[in-house]
Amino acid sequence: MSDTVKLQDAANGRAPAPSRQILALGVIAVLAALLPLVASDYQLRFVAEILIVGAAVLSLDLLVGYGGLVSLGHATLFGGAAYAAAVASRSLGADLTLMVGIGTLTGMVMAFITGIVVMRTIALFFLILTLIVGQIFWEIAFHWRDVTGGADGMRGLPTLSLNLGVTKLDLSSSFALYVTAAVLAFAAWAVARSFVNAPIGRALIGTRERQLRMSALGYDIARIRMMALLASGAIAGAAGSLYPFVNQYIGPNSMQWTFSAMMVVMLVIGGVGSLYGAFIGTAVYLGIQTYISSYTDRWQLVVGLIFVLTVMIMPRGIVHGVGSLFGGKGKQ
Amino acid sequence: MTMKDAITRRRLIAAGGATAFAGMLGAPLIAKAANGSLRIGMVTSLSGPFAGLGEAMRDGIVMALEEYGNEIAGRRIELIVEDDQAKPDEGVRKFRKLIGQDNVDIVSGVISSAVALAVRDVVTEAEALTFISAGSANALARDAASPLVFRPTKTNWMLGHTAGLWAAEKISKTGCLTIGADYAAGREYIGDFVETYTAQGGAVGQQLWAPLGTTDFGPLLTAIASVQPEFIYSFFAGSDAVRFLRQMKDYRLHEKVKVLGGGALFDQEDVIATVKDAALGGLNTCNQSPTAPASQAFSAAYLARRGVLPGEMGTAGYVTAQVIKAALERVGGDVAAKDQLKENLLALPVDTVFGPMSFDPRNNQAILDIYVNEITESADGPVNQVIHTYQGVQDPGPTA
Amino acid sequence: MSFYLVQILNALSFSMLLMLTGLGLSVVLSLLNFVNLTHGSSFLLGAYVSIWWLGSGAPWWLAFPVAFLASALAGLVLERFPFRQFYTRTHLMQVLLTYGLSVIFADLMRWGFGAQIASPELPEILSGVIFVFDMPFPIYRLFIIVFGAVLALALWFVIDRTIWGAVVRACVTDRRFVETLGLDTKRIFTIVVAVAAGLGGLSGALGAGVLSAYPGLDEEQLILALIVVVVGGLGTFRGTVLSALLLGFTMTFTKVWIPEMSNVAALAIMALMLVIAPQGLVARKVRQV
Repeated sequence: MSDTVKLQDAANGRAPAPSRQILALGVIAVLAALLPLVASDYQLRFVAEILIVGAAVLSLDLLVGYGGLVSLGHATLFGGAAYAAAVASRSLGADLTLMVGIGTLTGMVMAFITGIVVMRTIALFFLILTLIVGQIFWEIAFHWRDVTGGADGMRGLPTLSLNLGVTKLDLSSSFALYVTAAVLAFAAWAVARSFVNAPIGRALIGTRERQLRMSALGYDIARIRMMALLASGAIAGAAGSLYPFVNQYIGPNSMQWTFSAMMVVMLVIGGVGSLYGAFIGTAVYLGIQTYISSYTDRWQLVVGLIFVLTVMIMPRGIVHGVGSLFGGKGKQ
Repeated sequence: MTMKDAITRRRLIAAGGATAFAGMLGAPLIAKAANGSLRIGMVTSLSGPFAGLGEAMRDGIVMALEEYGNEIAGRRIELIVEDDQAKPDEGVRKFRKLIGQDNVDIVSGVISSAVALAVRDVVTEAEALTFISAGSANALARDAASPLVFRPTKTNWMLGHTAGLWAAEKISKTGCLTIGADYAAGREYIGDFVETYTAQGGAVGQQLWAPLGTTDFGPLLTAIASVQPEFIYSFFAGSDAVRFLRQMKDYRLHEKVKVLGGGALFDQEDVIATVKDAALGGLNTCNQSPTAPASQAFSAAYLARRGVLPGEMGTAGYVTAQVIKAALERVGGDVAAKDQLKENLLALPVDTVFGPMSFDPRNNQAILDIYVNEITESADGPVNQVIHTYQGVQDPGPTA
Repeated sequence: MSFYLVQILNALSFSMLLMLTGLGLSVVLSLLNFVNLTHGSSFLLGAYVSIWWLGSGAPWWLAFPVAFLASALAGLVLERFPFRQFYTRTHLMQVLLTYGLSVIFADLMRWGFGAQIASPELPEILSGVIFVFDMPFPIYRLFIIVFGAVLALALWFVIDRTIWGAVVRACVTDRRFVETLGLDTKRIFTIVVAVAAGLGGLSGALGAGVLSAYPGLDEEQLILALIVVVVGGLGTFRGTVLSALLLGFTMTFTKVWIPEMSNVAALAIMALMLVIAPQGLVARKVRQV
């Protein structure tokens, strides 16, 4: 069985052969464990950021890759949860479990509100309506100066910690943040994967492929989509809850539609419908942005070219494109 | 309009910088700057809404460093410029990269106040010598002040406050309308203006707010035309400022209503060079003026270099280099002696092209001369002409 | 009284700008079922070209056709490659491709025209004001209203009432059938895309007099145009006009009454429209499978 076929199966929501998957997970786990030995503080924190943003991009993949619902308001769920966590941390302290709990809940509530509004739309209408709803949330965050700090954002947040009952573990170091982000990223991936492999996930793919037939079969399409939105919101929210503590800062940019668009770009570069491609796309995008821009003012040109080439040559993302280079041509 | 050639890139990156990409996941670059050279990092906005301002700031610092022969206090200077896209998240990432990977000795730059606030904790934690060139949120001189963060620029309060003084004394105590961009900076400028103006006995009439990035000021200008105020105090920056002034002229309001604004509204390079005579007659308070005595030589050199008189950001880039130079020379180039450097920098004023600059020991905030500029016709087109100078304006600082 | 008259004129002129920008996008969507997000780039290119032209001292009125041609030419090239390869792909792939292209163009224009804000020097004849009783209203905005109305009518006439329009519409319904009539449908598609891009350039040239031009304007205009076109109902002509008027009037009058909440209010109203009419104000009949 070639890699290509395996990846295509993954894109269709079917689990690849378990033995290979365990092997792949093992390799990744070893690499992740070795990273802190070779990477500097700065690099570890950068990787942590990639994992956190990547988890949010992964949650977007649930909608785009499996539900065929392209959202331009996904940053709202991520950023909204980040704000909620940041605001709560000021009075309650930044305990990890509390933050993730608040973030997950906020992400789900905002996904639910968005879901009610966008429920009846699909395709471009869905795209624009999520954009509009997202921008309304953004406007609120931008103008609610007493709580969110407005355009200046919130700074001076407490550092992240984990309450272990007897002792409090400080999570502010780059290493601790990296470990936290890695655990979050893995959990996000596991949750998303079990979602797409569960009957609800299969049904979601059905609504993408054959909406009319699915409703004829008695599926409640609105309910299926709402479930996907909620799952996606929960993951994005959990990821968002850690985001303020990467830099002890959160600002309105993290909720703006441009951030949503960036997430879509990351997802496409990495590979739609593969879940783990989200992390690769995020790493490629943030890597280019952070490193190429040191050498040329034309970094946006580079990002644009890479993106367009990806869409034209490897429409299913780098993961799949590279795979098909080595594993022969896959079925289209 | 000005259709300039793309500015030549003048980035002086250390040899071995090309390995940075490989270094992303590989071994960290520990190589300390070789043989006594000194690295200055600058983060500015080279894309996004402030791209034009960022290019000017970069050119300003490069211009100064070239004049110094890329050498300060006997040490060779390497400048690394990074783009923050005017986004706080990106700005923080770039500051971390400069400090954590490029091992710079000094970080500087920043146009957006939000970026300046976002990086405050990062540079404080890293105990990095920081010079904020332009981000002017009041908070950075107040509860967000930090021991090694110097701000060789104004605070919003310094401009709003002096405008309030000038308006009450020289314009009118009645018939004032304010209109500002509805975000943090706009709120600070207008708020500080109103506070001083009313304290001086002025009475503020209607207060209008336009969303950031307003394309069509028509509805608001029609409202202004119906109120017919004697003068307006206004804060807009960048494309908002250009559109506001141009549309004021479109509606023939610029002849009827005196406009007093924050420096950014009439920025020489960013705004006046574009709106030209629509700016004539406007008044602003600013820490920079191309016609200030301290700026004469610099303005001429800048005009020769970029084909336009300097605005605040080009000047701020240059001033950043001047202040860094003074700071380094006062410790003989020993950048590691941070406490000594701070003490010596705070001890004596620095002569900059803004004007004489001393630092407030409470918050490292520059104490500056604030100019009242009037836009008048000159051989180089409309220009910010100094008509009054408020000397040594000091932000209330931590007590405010 | 005169206050509200002028505000209505303000709203009309702003609506016209929105409509003109939306029309190009709408034409390609309705006729080719293609989502072209490089439309904002066409707009900005037209704006820059017209500013350059108006500053050059050549006859001012030529600035508009020149801007049209410049953007149309760019559209022509793009249609050959890579748009043509994407006509049969999903909307999502079209969105991704053209968004990527718009990022590239944004940077190229920034490179070519600089990052500084640019404003056109309007000719004397267009830069005056008229007074509605005692309230001033710029002649240039009147010009936009008239120009926009004429252009919209002309476009509607060509598409709806002429043989050319009929051919293009036939292409959409059944391309193979049109080909059996001996017509070159590829060329027809090329022309449609080029004209639509030209319309974008033309609206940019008109808009520059009010909005100025700077890096980022392309994206701002694209988003507005997208909202207009989608809320209008994906490229139905009447829908686009209706939706542009709706957005223009709400954005103007929310600024008059509740300036601090104007964006939220305008966005909320557009969202409400899509909630009430999920297929847009004027829906096209689409066959579902």
